[in-house]
Amino acid sequence: MNLSKHDPQTEMEMDMTPMIDVVFLLIIFFMIITDLTQKELEVLELPVAVQAVKDEPDPDVVRPILNIGWDGEIIVRAVPIYDTEEDDYRKLNAYLANQAKLMPLKMDDTLKKELPDNPILIRADQVTPFKHIQKIMELCGKPDIAIWKVEIAAAQPENK
Amino acid sequence: MSALANIAQEESKLEMTPMIDVTFLLLIFFMCTIKFKTLEGKLSAYLPKDVGSNTTEAEPKEKVEIQLKVLNAGTRLSPDETTLWDPATGDRFVFGSDRSIQYRVGPKKTTDLAVIEHQLGLLHAADPERGCTIDAQPGIVYGDVVGVLDAALANDFTDITFVAAR
Repeated sequence: MNLSKHDPQTEMEMDMTPMIDVVFLLIIFFMIITDLTQKELEVLELPVAVQAVKDEPDPDVVRPILNIGWDGEIIVRAVPIYDTEEDDYRKLNAYLANQAKLMPLKMDDTLKKELPDNPILIRADQVTPFKHIQKIMELCGKPDIAIWKVEIAAAQPENK
Repeated sequence: MSALANIAQEESKLEMTPMIDVTFLLLIFFMCTIKFKTLEGKLSAYLPKDVGSNTTEAEPKEKVEIQLKVLNAGTRLSPDETTLWDPATGDRFVFGSDRSIQYRVGPKKTTDLAVIEHQLGLLHAADPERGCTIDAQPGIVYGDVVGVLDAALANDFTDITFVAAR
């Protein structure tokens, strides 16, 4: 008889501990994820491209991300590395050379030379003059950098 | 003695509700901020490999050259497209609808990107192995190049290279 009749007092008691554990884990997860992705991506008006494939960055893969503002300022990891007024590409050059050294090398059959096999990601505003991007591409072609793969950031259409 | 024990038990009870409230708010905040960047994508292309090295080997196959040239730079408007852009504000600008770009693929010249997309489709169908190069003349902006890159990728070109500035 006692089994069928629940005591209302004991039923109200709920153990919150597992829920709080889960919630904390979720918070930590989201904090880590947002930190990693938003540190390197500046707020830019990207042009829309239908063919754009979703970017799923792997934190273990070396891929320099260059953000170029509408006025040509280049920002890497939230730090301005090139300014159109200063017009000094040495910092960017050093950064790219350093990144290229960290990339895995792959033998190129036509050039008979080992080239870095990772891309760089270029993110620029819709109205950024392309000459700034061409300058970056020129730097990439230097013998001490020799990065030849490039990814161009674009926004995916809203309805996709 | 039993009264003391009762007090001790009551003290050890912790009020969890405010903490859970804050925790949920944090959780919702992080979940919302993470949503913002899901619309971003990328387009893959290549840079000329042999810049700066002394290779004399000729390109095995001539690539389709897409040239972009500015015909009319277009008026610069403020980001909300209602007033003319004022450089003093330090804000970015957008181009008015009078901006026009000439695209050239081989002998074909046009200002319509759809025509270029069609032309690239024909060229790709004729020789699927052929790559293409994108040659941006001075005055071209990032958005124009992404448009052409998009058109080339839509026609299944895989070997897309950028021409270095001259």
